[in-house]
Amino acid sequence: MMTCREVLDSLSSFIDEDLKQEVAQEMHKHFHVCGECRAHFDSLTMTIKLYRHIENPSMPAGCHDRLVKVLELERMNLKSVSDPPQSDKS
Amino acid sequence: MTTTATDDALVKRAQQDDERAFGELVTRYESKVYSLAMKMLRNPEDAEDVLQETFLRAYRGLKSFKGNSTFSTWIYRITANSALMRLRKKQLPQVSIEDSDERETPIAIADWAPGPAEQLLNQEMQRVMDEAIESLPHEFRQVFILRDVEEMSNSDVAEILDLSVAAVKSRLHRARLKVRNRLAQYFSEIKSNRATGAKAS
Repeated sequence: MMTCREVLDSLSSFIDEDLKQEVAQEMHKHFHVCGECRAHFDSLTMTIKLYRHIENPSMPAGCHDRLVKVLELERMNLKSVSDPPQSDKS
Repeated sequence: MTTTATDDALVKRAQQDDERAFGELVTRYESKVYSLAMKMLRNPEDAEDVLQETFLRAYRGLKSFKGNSTFSTWIYRITANSALMRLRKKQLPQVSIEDSDERETPIAIADWAPGPAEQLLNQEMQRVMDEAIESLPHEFRQVFILRDVEEMSNSDVAEILDLSVAAVKSRLHRARLKVRNRLAQYFSEIKSNRATGAKAS
C-alpha cells in the first residue's frame, strides 16, 4: 500500500497518465480510502484545467507591421554587407 | 486547388533566400511566439520586443538551422530563451528553485471551490492565476507555461528548454503545487470572507 507521501509525490505523473499501470491502480485504491490525498488530486487537476482555459493573448494592432519592418531593415543590412556598393570606375 | 507548404519546405526555400517563404513562416508563428512571450513576461512591450528578437535571431540563424529539431521547436526555444534573458535582466526578486519548498505549505484543500473551470474564470480569478505564475521561479515558470498553458508534451518541453524529461517532470510537479497552493489560498479567503459577510448580515 502506498503511503500518502508517495501518493502526493506521484500526483503529477498520475494526472499525466505517466505511471505504470500497477502504480496507477495503487493510487486509485489510495484515493478511495484517503480523503485528504483525494482532495489534493482534485485540486491539482482543477488547477491544470483552469490554466488550460486561459485565452491566448492576441497581438496588439500594428505589431505585425512593426515586425515586418524590423525584418526588412535586417534584410537590407545583411544585403549591404554581402553586396557592398560598386565603386564608380568610369 | 492550393496546398499548404510544410514548415520544412518553407525553411528549405527560405534558406535559399526566398523571402516570401520566410514571410510565410513569420505569419504562421508570430501570434504563437507573441502569446508565449506575453504569458512569460506579462507585459505587452516586453512581449513585442521578444517577438522581434526571436524572428531576427531566426532570420540570422536560418542558414545554420540543420533541421535536427522541427522549426516550431527551434522557434519556441529562441522565444523561451529570449524571454528568460529578459526576466533575468529585470532582476525582480524571485524565489530560487532551491528555496522554494512548496510541499511544506499547509493548505486548506477542503475549501477548494468546486465547479466547472469555465465558471471560475472571472477577472479576479484571472488576476490570481497571473500572480501565481509570476510568483514562480523563472525556470519553473517556463516549464509550467509550456506544459500546462501551451499544452506541449514533456518531451517537446525538454527539447525546447534543453532539459532532460525527468527534469521537466520534476519542475512541472513543483510548479503545479506552488500554483495550486496560491489558488487554494484564494479560495480559502473567499470562503472566509463569505462566512464573515453571512455573520454580519
